[in-house]
Amino acid sequence: MNDAIAFTEDQRDALQELMNISMGQAANSLAHLIETKIGISIPNITAVTPEQLFEMVRHNQEAHYTRQSFMGDIHGEVMSILSQSGLAEVAELMEYEQPLSDADIKETILELCNILAGACLSGLSEQLELTTNLQMPTLFQPEKHDFNQLGWQHSLVMEVKFDIQISSFTMRVVFCLDDASLHKLTSTIDELLG
Amino acid sequence: MDNPLLNKLPIGICLVNQDYIITHLNAFFLDRMASELRDEAIGKPIGDVFPEQIKFLKRRIKSVFVLKHPSFSYWEQRPHIFPFKSSRPITGEETQMVQNMEIVPHKDPDTGQLCACILIQDVTAQASYFKAQAQLAEELKAEHEAQRKLIRKLDRAQAQLIQAEKMASTGQLAAGIAHEINNPMGFITANLNTLEQYAKHLLDACQASRDLVEIHSDTELQQQFNQIIQSNHVDLVSEDIAPLIEESKDGLKRVREIVSTLRSFAEDTQTGWGLLNLDETANQLVQLIGVQYKAPTYKVQCEPPNLKWYCESASLKQALTNVLMNAAQSITDKGLVMLSIQQRGAMLHIKILDTGCGINEKHLGRIFEPFFTTRPEGQGQGLGLSVAYTAIENHKGKMVANSKPGKGTVIEILLPALSEKQAEPQDDENSSLAASTQQPESL
Repeated sequence: MNDAIAFTEDQRDALQELMNISMGQAANSLAHLIETKIGISIPNITAVTPEQLFEMVRHNQEAHYTRQSFMGDIHGEVMSILSQSGLAEVAELMEYEQPLSDADIKETILELCNILAGACLSGLSEQLELTTNLQMPTLFQPEKHDFNQLGWQHSLVMEVKFDIQISSFTMRVVFCLDDASLHKLTSTIDELLG
Repeated sequence: MDNPLLNKLPIGICLVNQDYIITHLNAFFLDRMASELRDEAIGKPIGDVFPEQIKFLKRRIKSVFVLKHPSFSYWEQRPHIFPFKSSRPITGEETQMVQNMEIVPHKDPDTGQLCACILIQDVTAQASYFKAQAQLAEELKAEHEAQRKLIRKLDRAQAQLIQAEKMASTGQLAAGIAHEINNPMGFITANLNTLEQYAKHLLDACQASRDLVEIHSDTELQQQFNQIIQSNHVDLVSEDIAPLIEESKDGLKRVREIVSTLRSFAEDTQTGWGLLNLDETANQLVQLIGVQYKAPTYKVQCEPPNLKWYCESASLKQALTNVLMNAAQSITDKGLVMLSIQQRGAMLHIKILDTGCGINEKHLGRIFEPFFTTRPEGQGQGLGLSVAYTAIENHKGKMVANSKPGKGTVIEILLPALSEKQAEPQDDENSSLAASTQQPESL
């Protein structure tokens, strides 16, 4: 936890609640689309340095990674970490035909991330009355040097875990905001809190 | 929706309502469609107009309607969603347009109806560029790998060549010098023997004269005679001359031995594979190196005695010489150099141990590299161990170095017994055992 951008207790609670609602909506949307139950964890909200962020996303080698940037009133990036296991079942739920080609798997990953990250973001921005636009997601491999070269010192990380009940599939979504967007976010929350 | 600007955009726009009926197409779409489809497309189900990827399209459109948030498709996974010709049908290599797609939810401002807006981007140029780049990268990587291998081979070959050349000339030189030394050695030995005889005669004559003077002469003559004897130190000479000659003969004997060892070692022109008496070779080697480096004490062990081993004698000798030379050079004051050769079943264990200065840990991994040396410029080419390594590799053997700075170094060589057939030269990339270095262990 970094003091420079620490939240007040109230801000954190508010953000956590907002995230909870948007995550719920996201899970709901996906569940509706693929007609299966989806569980979500309680959102975890922390402020991290690039190095800490790398440690957060790194600890699973058996994973796929995507990133997707968003712009508008607040901007930043969404990183999604997907488990490799259970992906085939999810692809099947999304009406892909077996056997899955490499392109099918990649498409499934990108689409899943897009759906979940998009739903989270639109839920959050809707409640905060901010406009955001999500860009196209891309696959990537996190390397330590990438994180050291990032142009920011701190980031807000909102992390949530989805798991799809019929398979062993899990996914984590990490939102990263830069300093300016962070101020925008906290001031908007303050307004909401009155 | 019929803003003429939309027809100027380099992006395809297609609107689909919740029943999957096309409600709008911009010029980008229309221009690329077959003429008979153009006029009738609007108002038709999208599946009738673009049946090619309809399953995928419908799924994505559904997701947009359900989630009310954009859906993306990237050319790498799905290059051709709509059957459009490439933007460069004549000059390009791609015949079909490569597309990125984005479907965004759109609320019609007039009707308030929600529809899906399909946006198509032509990325043929980027895609073919990207593919060419990827292929280029692949080729570069392969080429780089091939070059690296070649450089390594070249390095070795060069190292071997230099060393072989050096050894050949040193060997010739040594043989030549040995021959040249042998000539004078012959007459020096003969002359020394004669001189020994002459000296004996002279001393005998002296003694006889003394005896004669003592018996017969008067005092004055006796005194004069004794003066001559004394002023020429005859007593001392007669006492010293025999051991002096003996010592010289001993020295000559040693010179002869060294010369003959040197000759037998250097003149060994028998190249190729054969049986080598390792016991004899080890002793010769230690003798030769001991002449040059006198500081260490040398110890040779061979088990079983007179062990004969099938090998390429010249290169194996070379390898042992180089390793032993390094061991000897590592000792400046006092110390031990031990060469032990032991046959264990089908393996030959050769161990060269010294209690010298040792090898720095950071250098240990590089000592078998050609041209790696820690000596000042001009005092070593850094070839000794790399040549030894190559020689051992050619014998399908393994060479391991252990060292502790200040304590000493152990070089272990493991050689498998080879028959004539196995010893056929082969590509060294496939050599089964390779040299490796380990952490220093206590000696």
